[in-house]
Amino acid sequence: MKTLALFLLFVGNFMYSQQEFPTVNVKSIDGETIATSSFNEKDKLYVFSFWATWCAPCIQELEAISEVYEDWKTQLNVEIIAVATDDSRTQKRVKPLVNGKGWSYTVLLDSNQDLKRKLSIANIPYLVVVKNNQIVFVQNGHTPGAEEELLAKLKSL
Amino acid sequence: MKKISLIIAIAFSGISFGQTEEVKEEKKGNFFGGFESNSQWYTNDKNREINHPEDPFRSNSYLNLNYSYGRWTAGIQGESYAPNALQNYNPKYDETNVATYYLNYKSNKLDVTAGYFYEQFGSGLLLRSWEDRSLGINNALRGGKITYTPTDNFMFTALYGRHRSGFDVSGGDVFGFNSDINLFKLLKIESSDLSVGFSYVGRYEETDMINPDFDELTNAYAGRFNFSKGNFYWSTEFNYKSKDGVLYDSNIVDDYTKPGTALLMNFGYSKKGFGLDATFRRLENISFYSEREPEVLAPEKTSIYFNDKLMNFVPSLTKQHHFNLANIYVYQAQSLVYLDPNNGVGKAGEIGGQIDFYYDFAKTTTLGGKYGTKIAVNFSNWNNLKGDYTLFPPDYKTDFFGFGKKYFSDFNIEVTKKLSPKLTSSFAFINQYYNNQYITGASNVTVKTNILAAEFDYKFSNGRAAKLAVEHMWADNDRKNWAALLLEYNFNTKFSMFASDMYNYGYDANANLIDHETDPFDIHFYNVGGAYKKGSTRFALNYGRQRGGLVCAGGVCRFVPPSTGLGFTITTSFN
Repeated sequence: MKTLALFLLFVGNFMYSQQEFPTVNVKSIDGETIATSSFNEKDKLYVFSFWATWCAPCIQELEAISEVYEDWKTQLNVEIIAVATDDSRTQKRVKPLVNGKGWSYTVLLDSNQDLKRKLSIANIPYLVVVKNNQIVFVQNGHTPGAEEELLAKLKSL
Repeated sequence: MKKISLIIAIAFSGISFGQTEEVKEEKKGNFFGGFESNSQWYTNDKNREINHPEDPFRSNSYLNLNYSYGRWTAGIQGESYAPNALQNYNPKYDETNVATYYLNYKSNKLDVTAGYFYEQFGSGLLLRSWEDRSLGINNALRGGKITYTPTDNFMFTALYGRHRSGFDVSGGDVFGFNSDINLFKLLKIESSDLSVGFSYVGRYEETDMINPDFDELTNAYAGRFNFSKGNFYWSTEFNYKSKDGVLYDSNIVDDYTKPGTALLMNFGYSKKGFGLDATFRRLENISFYSEREPEVLAPEKTSIYFNDKLMNFVPSLTKQHHFNLANIYVYQAQSLVYLDPNNGVGKAGEIGGQIDFYYDFAKTTTLGGKYGTKIAVNFSNWNNLKGDYTLFPPDYKTDFFGFGKKYFSDFNIEVTKKLSPKLTSSFAFINQYYNNQYITGASNVTVKTNILAAEFDYKFSNGRAAKLAVEHMWADNDRKNWAALLLEYNFNTKFSMFASDMYNYGYDANANLIDHETDPFDIHFYNVGGAYKKGSTRFALNYGRQRGGLVCAGGVCRFVPPSTGLGFTITTSFN
């Protein structure tokens, strides 16, 4: 019990914010290496959505955003980056699934979860909004219909 | 109890403080990390004849802290299994200690790590070190790693280390080299894309055997390529592991040595609204651990059982289902050579494949309807390698493209249809074949199942939403039929609750079951719980019955004993 208390005290006391988005090499859907620091257009909102082919709520979230994505782009300078955390069991399913669903997102493969680990993401779906290389908003989990709230949030960033 | 609430209050205040704090002006120094704690209060359950373990309250906690300054980053992970780890975790996860630490330097071209690190070469069939807390896997390597990226088209990695095992490291030394080259980019060929890769992995472990028929250094090589042109893509990799002692009854014996191979091929064609993907894989004796012989960690349980000292990652290439009942008879990839003198089973690997098909019926077409219809079909089939298996003396000889006894197959189809702007539905049919005698060897039972499942999601306004899922499985053997129900309600985007039940009925308790110790009678596996989330933090509480069986992630599984009790989870990341 004491140890748990110590652990939690640590949590309370080390709550400094990480503002900078980590630079990690990930792969594009075609297998090319891409550094996350290349998403660096000034004042553009980059929404990194962590998902996997086996994660039903993740797919539900990306499907919902997909329907309003074109509309969002007319209102905001925003890009959705779907980061597939699939390991080699399901990674080959990413490309046909993305195309099969007709998504127009930029898709990245984080196959040994280096980026996910750097952000200490325990569960997916998980959204990280980055602006000028700074993390400006985080959302964990998905609730059907939450994309309206997300759009309002994005507009305020 | 008072103490706990005080601690939670402190944690809460810290979290809210962390989120309201203004952006620090100096950008050089940066703290980041995360905390996760999974606790369980095990209770007695008369109906299930389950008594809670001696320590009924158990918890696994992980605190990860990192600090970066310019190009340098240092980090440490502490883990606490107090007063004891959750049931059936590796006994080497004991009490509280520093688990991993590292120092990293990263420039545009150079990435150097000393301490513990994670790495994967290619698809991981020879080397993968990773962390999966739900499975109790953390085989980070302790040593050093250098990655050099001279241009966008080259990446080279060299590493040395020993695998983490509990709070210690394993006795085997691991050496690795990997290269990835974007060949066509380099040659400025633009109409198509070709990248190639080569890996070497060495595992050195001394042996007590006199005149062993294998080298103490086991060499493994892999070559691979990825090709794509327009909508078409094709990748292949071949892995070879040099001759090494094969386990027989958990030991290395004289004159029983074999090399190992793994061949993986994947083809696909996809364009907007259509995707087709096919995979073929053949594995032979490709199980690979940093120590040749498993360590006995509990009565009749070795380090292999606990996924300890793993060198590589051999996932089962089947669909990872999200419906509960489709995860009762789960396939596990067969990489291990196993000759069982008790029932005469002989296996040396697996051969098979899977096909995926996705299609999006566009809106306003006949099948698409007003809002569109999406369909996903998957089929996988896995067999033993065809060959001659002899038990005394242990030996085998396989045909390269021969299919032996069938292990497993899964045919499934899932249709997702939006019925109105507020209501989405999805329907699935799953047909499985599961040969337990050959997959786990626990019994000689083969099960055939048919599963029907439907799921409905309804959106109200202001983040309120409801989900209903119903499933039924018809099984011809083992525990026969199951029915399952799940209800979920989101009060807003932050707070949700759920209630679920799985009910097993229709079988004879005296039948030949796969495992007699996991609830051999009709029973409701009910669960209720709630979750609250804010920013990166999530709290979840649940009470109910855990079915004994396999919990799998990414095709690697951990056995969870049957239990009843209260579970509590906190996860947060500091950003």
